[in-house]
Amino acid sequence: MNTDFQWRLKGRCYKLGHDVPHAGGVVPNSIIAGRYFDPKDIIPHLFEETDPGFHERCKPGDIIVAGRNFGMGPKMNGYIAMQALGLGLVCESMPFLAYRAAVGCGLRVMTDCINVTEMCDTGDELEVDFRSGYFINHTRDVQREYPPVPESLLELIELGGNAGWLRQWWQSQHKEPASPQVSGARG
Amino acid sequence: MALTAVEKTLAAKSGRSSVQPGDVVYPDPDFIMIHDGVVMGAKRELDALGISKLAGPDKVVMVTDHDVIYGSARAAERGAFNRKAARDWGVRNFFDVGRGGHGHIFPMESGMLLPGMFYFDNDRHSTNAGAIGAFGFRMGTEISRVLATGTNWVMVPKSVRVWIRGKLRPGVHARDVGFRLATLIANGTLDADLDYRVLEYAGELDQFDLASRAALCSSPTEVRAYGVFLPPSEAILAHARAVATRPFTPVYPDIDARYEAELVLDVSTLEPQVALPGGVHNAVDVATAAGTKIDHVFLGSCGSGMYPDLETAAALLKGQRIAPHVRMFVAPGSEASTQRMAREGLLQVFIEAGAVMLPAGCGPCNDAVIGPVHSGEVSISTAANNNVGRFGAKDAQLYLGSPATVTASAIAGKITDPREMLNTRK
Repeated sequence: MNTDFQWRLKGRCYKLGHDVPHAGGVVPNSIIAGRYFDPKDIIPHLFEETDPGFHERCKPGDIIVAGRNFGMGPKMNGYIAMQALGLGLVCESMPFLAYRAAVGCGLRVMTDCINVTEMCDTGDELEVDFRSGYFINHTRDVQREYPPVPESLLELIELGGNAGWLRQWWQSQHKEPASPQVSGARG
Repeated sequence: MALTAVEKTLAAKSGRSSVQPGDVVYPDPDFIMIHDGVVMGAKRELDALGISKLAGPDKVVMVTDHDVIYGSARAAERGAFNRKAARDWGVRNFFDVGRGGHGHIFPMESGMLLPGMFYFDNDRHSTNAGAIGAFGFRMGTEISRVLATGTNWVMVPKSVRVWIRGKLRPGVHARDVGFRLATLIANGTLDADLDYRVLEYAGELDQFDLASRAALCSSPTEVRAYGVFLPPSEAILAHARAVATRPFTPVYPDIDARYEAELVLDVSTLEPQVALPGGVHNAVDVATAAGTKIDHVFLGSCGSGMYPDLETAAALLKGQRIAPHVRMFVAPGSEASTQRMAREGLLQVFIEAGAVMLPAGCGPCNDAVIGPVHSGEVSISTAANNNVGRFGAKDAQLYLGSPATVTASAIAGKITDPREMLNTRK
């Protein structure tokens, strides 16, 4: 485990509604179709179609709070930008493959947080512990507990997602005597 | 604890006695499939990380089905890249151009994919595995981790069951059932959320052969099912035993397994369906769309590419010509089917009718690399879906139908109820 990793984020709430699609709602479709995966190429376009300049106003630790069915389409582009900006994501629900894409980018993300959009508004001071599921809105003085990041996915997010996990795994294979067993790959 | 088919399969492949939805497991797959369109991305990603060796090259199956006839210099370059990747990785199970066919069809025909198996795939149409009583899980770009390490995390999905009641009438096809089912789920008539669920069929399933079972797997996938499963019938088991390249153990759900939802679909009065442009979930009775003039027909894809599908079409086409203003493309699901078509005279029927034969594979259904539609044209096909722009111009009108419906429509030059032609042949 990476003890330096910040599972608890403290920052401002950025609230979105229900059914925000990845294409258009999170990043312009041109970013997805153009296959941009470098954070510096994507960041200027995060929420560009609904809120130009978002990337200049957000700060590391800020938390995106979304409603039901966030991020339709199993695309990674927007989550790459969110992760690079140090943001977290809390939503009422997201299609599983969108959730999987977010985890694969190393994003701190919690889903199935029922009615969380009723607990906050844009600009509120939030504190969220993604490891325990603890949610605090300091502005409104409310606290909730939501389903945290599953224990088995903590390491994947700490290592920055799929690429970071694979890099670490490959290095570990070369430090120790290589294990021939497939099951040894579960890290 | 009583388990559904997917729970039982994932438990067995993960070395556990039981699993439940939400558990994270690391199944040991029977094989790992990757298709020609994504080898380059995976190879470059692993190369950049310095990962030069795969966990088990003998478990990896590479398939060239998405862009079989290179229509561009870029495609030819990708083909060359893929062949070098197979050599570098030591992958011997490489079904390249003209060697296998559609990756979601030929393994079920050839005995590579057998009841009870589990495999990882980059592509979401791996749901077809349910036709033979197996599971193939889509990993997308995460297939690179599977290639490198041999597995990946899988969250056990929930299961939804649909009971099929009654028998299909002549001229009605399993593909029609899929369109109807997707439509009833999408419009809320049948109350179930298929997102990341396994759809398990039950009920009167003996009427469905392997090809029909592949058809039943197709449309639920387009409305977000992550897996589809049909318990193998005696006929399916007999086929599997006849072609098996290794031992297998079929999986059946426990009798008291629990499902998130139980649905019932009576198919005894079902009419042939046509999915209107925009999605498989836009199905209407064929009469509603009949008469619509068409320009383009495609027969094939993971949902309708097996030999019985080709036979259904050939029975209608025999001695007929497709309408002069229509172009019809046919992509068999496997090279074995193309060879059998030649032996049994079907090839001649298609060619004499004026249809154009494509190599076994995805045909136009992959990103219009071959046989696309032009702006303003109207197409009816058995493609996996008819989402906007699926195979060509975004303002083309893409309809879907069963193999019988699209073939009858090709002959008439307009969307046609296949029963009109079946009746006149008697």
